[in-house]
Amino acid sequence: MPQKAFSGTDLPVREDLAEAHRRAWAAIAAPGTWLSAARRVAVAAEIRRARDCAHCARIRAALSPEGVPGAHDTLGAVSPAEVELIHRVVNDPGRLSEKWSQAVLAAGLAEGEYVEIVGLIALVMMMDTFTRALGAADTPLPAPQPGEPSRYRPTGARRKAAWLPITEPEDATAADGPMYPSPKAGYIYRALSMVPQSLRDYWALASAHYLPGPAIYRFDQSVRAIARPQVELIAARVSALHQCAY
Amino acid sequence: MLRESMHAQGSQVELAGVTKGFGADAGIPHAAALTAFTEAVVLREAARTESGRLALRAALGDAGLVDACATAAAFHGFVRIADAIGIPHYSSPGGDDLSGLREQAGINEFYRVQGDGALR
Repeated sequence: MPQKAFSGTDLPVREDLAEAHRRAWAAIAAPGTWLSAARRVAVAAEIRRARDCAHCARIRAALSPEGVPGAHDTLGAVSPAEVELIHRVVNDPGRLSEKWSQAVLAAGLAEGEYVEIVGLIALVMMMDTFTRALGAADTPLPAPQPGEPSRYRPTGARRKAAWLPITEPEDATAADGPMYPSPKAGYIYRALSMVPQSLRDYWALASAHYLPGPAIYRFDQSVRAIARPQVELIAARVSALHQCAY
Repeated sequence: MLRESMHAQGSQVELAGVTKGFGADAGIPHAAALTAFTEAVVLREAARTESGRLALRAALGDAGLVDACATAAAFHGFVRIADAIGIPHYSSPGGDDLSGLREQAGINEFYRVQGDGALR
């Protein structure tokens, strides 16, 4: 049953979608795999700060994203490497490069931290874009919860097909926890698999926004209130405007 | 996905609309309004987002508008994961050859494809 779950709008939001948002914010507020809860919430705050970064606007306007002079407008609560990762992924994701990703790592981020932060960016961007599209207010950032990061790295995570390590379905172990609905899961599904909890958090939210897994390849049906071609028109246009080639 | 969803309905779509935008003649109900709203959301243009929201609410109803917003938001996550992790972009999940489709859609002009020299 649709519920009013977002302040600033009278639009009724599906309960499964509202619940997915609640769970995602709770996950952000909990200790992660490599980041503490306080650091995760600080990353979320920096993601919101990045939306209005003047330096990012100059980079976007430049013919090449490399070598644009200036500094990001930051809240100052995360490291310079984290600021660069967050701002570029938020504001110019279609013009990232392997060289850039390796420079971010060399500036002081571990691979697991990088992947976990990318997962957080995807969660916050998805939820904030949704509320803004609805005309609702941003959801207040949650209070960080106590606890320690698990520091779990899958034994099968390897850097091979992508810029960062991936745990391919055939290399996943029981200790990783559930990750893949199918051994044929596409690369978009595998992308966060170096940090299995980030993968699970991301797909719990993404499935509620887009389509549940079993519905994705049933092109003759729609489980949403708009027709499947309408869903895919929006998807294709968002991807193209971001210059996403995947 | 767009092409396959149209095929499932016995229709076709002009894939250039992926990069150039879809008009009322796209063969998809409310294509122009969906395109305008989506562009406003991506470009974070508040006034156009509001006018687009009103237009889509009238066209699709409350639940349709919510799902349009949810879909647009979903792909703000997908694109960032794909592009920040640097997953391969030259084949479909099933490994099909997508070179013709990518040419039609204008995807070969994208920065990463150009930079990788991976026009496959």
